[in-house]
Amino acid sequence: MKHLVKWALLAFMILLFSSCKKDEPAPVPVKADYLGTVTVTFRGEDVDTDKIEVNFTPSADGKTADILIKKIKFVPQMPVTLDITIPGVTLTAKNNGFELSGEGLVPLAMGGEFPQYTVSGLYGLVAGDKISFLLKFGDYPTKYTGTKL
Amino acid sequence: MFGFVLSVLTLLSLHGNVDTVSVITTPGVVTAVRQTVEIGRIASPATTIGIGEIAELHITTQKTLSAIVPSLHIPDYGTGMTSTIYMRGMGSRMENPVLGLYIDDIPIIDKNTYDIPMLGLSGMTLLRGPQGTVYGRNSMGGVLSLHTLSPSSFKGTKALIEWGTANTASATVSHYRGKDALTIGFHHTDGFFDNVFTGKKADPGNGVDLRWKREFGSGEWNLTNTAVASFSDEGGFAYGRFLDGELQRVNYDGKAGYTRLSVMDGLKAGKSFDKASLNLIGSVQLLADRMRMDQDYSPESIFSLEQSQRSAALTFEAILKPFHSDERWHSTTGLFFMGKFNHMDAPVNFFRDGIESLILENANKNIPESIGYIDFMMDTLPVSSVFGIWTGDLALYHESVLSLGRWDLTAGLRLDLEGGLMNYDCASDITYRFFPTMRSPKILPCTYRGDENHLGFEILPKLSAMYNGPSHGLKLYGTVSKGYKAGGFNTQIFSDIMQSVMMNALMDDLGVHFDEEFQSVGAGNTEYKPEEAWNFEAGIRISPAEWFRLEASLYNILIRNQQLTVFPPGKSIGRMMTNAGRSRSTGAEVETDLRKGGFHGMLSYGWNDARFTSFHDGNAEYSGNKVPYVPSQTLFAMAEYSFAIGGKALKEISLQASANGTGEIYWNEANTIKEPFHLLLGGMVSFSFPKATVFLRGDNLTGEKYRTFYFKSIGNEFFQSGKPRRITLGVSLNFPKR
Repeated sequence: MKHLVKWALLAFMILLFSSCKKDEPAPVPVKADYLGTVTVTFRGEDVDTDKIEVNFTPSADGKTADILIKKIKFVPQMPVTLDITIPGVTLTAKNNGFELSGEGLVPLAMGGEFPQYTVSGLYGLVAGDKISFLLKFGDYPTKYTGTKL
Repeated sequence: MFGFVLSVLTLLSLHGNVDTVSVITTPGVVTAVRQTVEIGRIASPATTIGIGEIAELHITTQKTLSAIVPSLHIPDYGTGMTSTIYMRGMGSRMENPVLGLYIDDIPIIDKNTYDIPMLGLSGMTLLRGPQGTVYGRNSMGGVLSLHTLSPSSFKGTKALIEWGTANTASATVSHYRGKDALTIGFHHTDGFFDNVFTGKKADPGNGVDLRWKREFGSGEWNLTNTAVASFSDEGGFAYGRFLDGELQRVNYDGKAGYTRLSVMDGLKAGKSFDKASLNLIGSVQLLADRMRMDQDYSPESIFSLEQSQRSAALTFEAILKPFHSDERWHSTTGLFFMGKFNHMDAPVNFFRDGIESLILENANKNIPESIGYIDFMMDTLPVSSVFGIWTGDLALYHESVLSLGRWDLTAGLRLDLEGGLMNYDCASDITYRFFPTMRSPKILPCTYRGDENHLGFEILPKLSAMYNGPSHGLKLYGTVSKGYKAGGFNTQIFSDIMQSVMMNALMDDLGVHFDEEFQSVGAGNTEYKPEEAWNFEAGIRISPAEWFRLEASLYNILIRNQQLTVFPPGKSIGRMMTNAGRSRSTGAEVETDLRKGGFHGMLSYGWNDARFTSFHDGNAEYSGNKVPYVPSQTLFAMAEYSFAIGGKALKEISLQASANGTGEIYWNEANTIKEPFHLLLGGMVSFSFPKATVFLRGDNLTGEKYRTFYFKSIGNEFFQSGKPRRITLGVSLNFPKR
């Protein structure tokens, strides 16, 4: 009887322990597309562009993500828009989401690295159906807020 | 001119008491089976040319009919593929013709086979004005019917051998025996225009042609089989650049020419029943050709086109002519079917100069230098375009002619259903690199595939009245008729579409986007509808004696859904055909023929005023302007006198002088550049022996400089010059079998 109680207690403790693990899952970043507004500060003035799509693609281990910003213009006079990927943005789980950060990231555009627009001071958050971040593309302070598509 | 005609008529009417003869009766000419009544009773102006006149006027191809038939202009340019026909102010450079062509009552479906030598003919008839009711598609300007010499009307051997300027030579032998007629012909020319770049002639040519006609009966059916085969290999596109007001010599580096093999076999079966005659006509028509073209016509290596076609067409027609108990009523009812498939492979090659000037310059001009630039890591960019095009036509028609006293009243109606399906498959692989960001070249496959179709219904009525005068073979007539030129698909514009597709794919791949996309025209815009013409015509025909005939007509043609080339919206550099406008063509024609003793004189004159009533090409408004490429006048005059010698060897000496005039012709829609009226003088002297005639012939004897074609390519202007003075020595042999 004693053995039986002992085994039952052990099984209960294992069950209790495993149920405690289920209550606190490690957050996993999810690939998602967002639509929102990008704001580029050009010569001291904020220039907003709506309906800018951003693709958020986490790495397999969930520690970093690539952020693709589609059809962005840095200055209003630019005759073209560019698709720019910021690779290797650091993800840190925080507040039911992920904090984004990065420094000295060389973006990818036009088939290769685009060092003129090296990213600095990247900070942001992905949580729920929202994404927001701010950074500097070279000399251009840039801000983005978007909602999941 | 019309006043002159009326004066002649008035004069003739005073003489009276001349037997009525059927107008334009030329020995050897057979009335086509589709016509309800004989040619002379048709209320349309008709030019009929017999076997003697074919030799006399040296009619060897359709192009040589220009101006001999009033208002007909078939400019001699490009290659044998270029069968551009203008008739009464109608016609277009590309796609479907305005003139229907028939050989022994068999409709020739593919325009690319129109320009083949006319061999072994007994005669031809050209009906002018829309003949849509009986002849259907592509007979908006008229119908040319060629009749080959029947083995039942001649037995023996005929031959014609010629040699002349630029080593232009031909040899044709026809043999008629039993139920068969066989003709074989060869032709060659060194060419008339030098290509400065290659140091060779631009337009040499060789060809061989075969005709076989067999007439045979099977029970009560009369059967006639006509087979026509033609092979030619030629240069061409002798286009010189027009720069600073001067026409420069032909000077381009790319390959140019045209090779064609065409085979047509048609069977006609006719039988008379108790109450009707029935004719069944079927044919198989095959074409394999290859056209090479340096599309920039310059010494630079910019771009070229090589187009190969493999097409097969089937036609079938049943024609019923009842024997009405009332002899005043004649009618024809017909059912027509045509099906055609054309496989076209039309790759465009952009060479280094073209890649840079037409593609990269266009793409890079919008990319800031601070960002970078695109380069193609290839010397040649091949862009393949493969098309499968099905065309089908089903028609039912009826025409009745009612004779009431001196009046012949005609009413007809055709219901025509025509459709088409085009499958397209365009592809190209671009090897490119964006500097400075890309470290190595990348291959980008680009494709554009799909299909388009169209279906259209045409109602083609005809009403006419003819008054048969009491004397002089006088006939007065009035006609209202409708014709149409078939619709189709713009395959030429796919090269432009693919350029846009490639640029957009490249930019998408790079992640660089312009505010406006390159592509503005897609396959959905490539269809064009049939062009329609309503003809209102009045004419007079008079033949007071066998030695004289005269015909004159006035017409006003309203053209709707006119197939015109326009600039597509957006950044496309090419032009495409679309139903962009309307026009009105008003004109007058006179044709007369006089034979008296040893004299033979011919005069043909056509005056035309064709103007756009509505046309905007995407860039500018052209309403009120003259329709380009159409001559406002055509003139042909010929006088020949034959001196009978009567010797045992030399029988006759003939002297002939002729003049062939065309113009003025506006070369563009803006009417800013034009060709003045020009006259080409010709002459011939011939010596006739019992079995042979030796002749010396001259064309363009004064060496008149004139131009036959104008166009623009990538902003540059080009002309083709007319052929220079030509002298030809020939002998025709005739060995009838007794």
